[in-house]
Amino acid sequence: MTPPRKREQGLVRAYVVTDGRAHPTRNTLDIVSLVNAVPGRSPAGLTPERRAVMDLCRGGALSVAEVAGYLALPISVTKVLISDLIDSGHIIARAAIPKAQLPDVQLLQEVLDGLRARL
Amino acid sequence: MTSHISGVVFWPVAAVALVALVMWVRQAVAAARLRRRLAATEQQVRDREADVRIREAEVAHLVDVRLPAVELGGRRPQQGLRDGRLAGTVYADRMDQVVSRFVGTVEKARVRADQSAKATLKAAMRSVQALANEQQLSISDMQDRHDSPYVLQDLMEIDHANSQFARRAQAIAVLCGSWPGRQRAASPLIDVLRGAKSRIRDYQRVEIGQGPDVDVISRAVEPVVLAVAELLDNATRHSQPNTSVEVSLRPAHNGTTIVIDDAGVGMDELEVSVAVERLGGGENLDINRLGDPPQFGFAVIGVLAARYGFSVSVDTRSPYGGVRAVLFLPKALLVASGTAAAPVAARAAAHRREAAQAELPVRTPVRGPAAVPAAAGHAAAAEPVHERAPGDDDVPETPITGATAGGLPKRRRREVSEQQFAARHARPAEPAGEDTGPIRTPYETASRMGAFARGTRSGRAESADDEGTTQE
Repeated sequence: MTPPRKREQGLVRAYVVTDGRAHPTRNTLDIVSLVNAVPGRSPAGLTPERRAVMDLCRGGALSVAEVAGYLALPISVTKVLISDLIDSGHIIARAAIPKAQLPDVQLLQEVLDGLRARL
Repeated sequence: MTSHISGVVFWPVAAVALVALVMWVRQAVAAARLRRRLAATEQQVRDREADVRIREAEVAHLVDVRLPAVELGGRRPQQGLRDGRLAGTVYADRMDQVVSRFVGTVEKARVRADQSAKATLKAAMRSVQALANEQQLSISDMQDRHDSPYVLQDLMEIDHANSQFARRAQAIAVLCGSWPGRQRAASPLIDVLRGAKSRIRDYQRVEIGQGPDVDVISRAVEPVVLAVAELLDNATRHSQPNTSVEVSLRPAHNGTTIVIDDAGVGMDELEVSVAVERLGGGENLDINRLGDPPQFGFAVIGVLAARYGFSVSVDTRSPYGGVRAVLFLPKALLVASGTAAAPVAARAAAHRREAAQAELPVRTPVRGPAAVPAAAGHAAAAEPVHERAPGDDDVPETPITGATAGGLPKRRRREVSEQQFAARHARPAEPAGEDTGPIRTPYETASRMGAFARGTRSGRAESADDEGTTQE
């Protein structure tokens, strides 16, 4: 995809983004936790990164990893930001969808072979 | 007889007397002339002696006063002749020539010393700067790689120290005539200020207020960051640790003003005058005269301001009793926010659905400055949205995934919709799809993914939908 207006990397350092904190206020967030913006909460008064998280999450659920990717921030920093936003009621998090019971490898291999034979 | 004798005697005596008289008169005249000449000569000798004394005194004055004054440079006023009587003479001219030759030599020596000091420092600082930048990159990489908050905490400390260290090196290099050393893309003014905040010790005391949504042009990002960082560093360094430093932005007709207020000790008149002199110093600043230990701050800002065309003043008091530093960025260094974004029409089409859903403003081709603030921020952040296709119904048409340089919409092949399909219904399977992606042709991938997705969907249909267990 054509990258959006790229934020200059490395200009604002991580410790300024989180105001020096490295530990998220909750340890329940995982990289696959889904976050959603609370509708109707105004992003006024938030720092640019927090506002960007809000904007990203407003369109639908996003995983923490995706948010980090879009913001070009380390995942651990993103977790701090998202925890803050959860605390302030701007965002709600859903637990990651549990992994589906995956069929065993042998079955998959057989399916694959079948498909290969057919295609 | 007697009369005859007397007559005989008289005439010769008379003649002798007459001759004697004439001789005497002549002698007297000659003597008088000689005496006059002697007197004149004596006078002349006295005059000459006086003259020599004056000139000796003048030479002494030259050695003791005038040349040292030149040596000390502009700090003492230039001295003239000691004795006014010599004014206008050839001798005085020669003396002035000596002085001017000496001035020239001193100036040349000073320039040479300055240049060599600057060249040495610059070379040293450039290598230090390169190392600091390299280190910053590896710190960033480590931050990306490690997930643990403990590691992040340590990395943040290292990063903070490294940023300050890089700023020091950069400041000295700039002062020595180097360019600021990093090329950055045009960045929002608020990020520029936070970038400056990143580079000082007590960054947590800096509070940045809301401001106009403008970008600083690419060329000026690093210089402004550096100048603001120096101002913030001064502000935090000269105020108590429990006070905060306020940064506010005021839009003006011809640009934007950054106002930095501290609640510190302030500066007395002498300090202000030194600061004003250094801020206005421009490029031709003598780095040997920055004091011991050298104070680079204002000198660096002065160099940057002269080179990039912004202005800085520190001669007002802040309402908190400290210093108010005002940095004025003219319009030439600013650009409306988000002008670097790609063509509008294609994006607008791609955004239509999301925009309606998320109440994002759809971009219009012509945007006045007034419309910029809200729209740009949202749009910039929202651009990735179309990539992830939020979960409603099946994707009805091929989604537009971006725009080419020419403004045409970019579409992906079928596999995108299939992938999205798969991603939505089988999130855990996504990495597998990505892994195999690059090796196979898109069509092959698409068919495989489709098959996989169909299988997973049918499997999922039987199990209960467990989405929607909120954590909060």
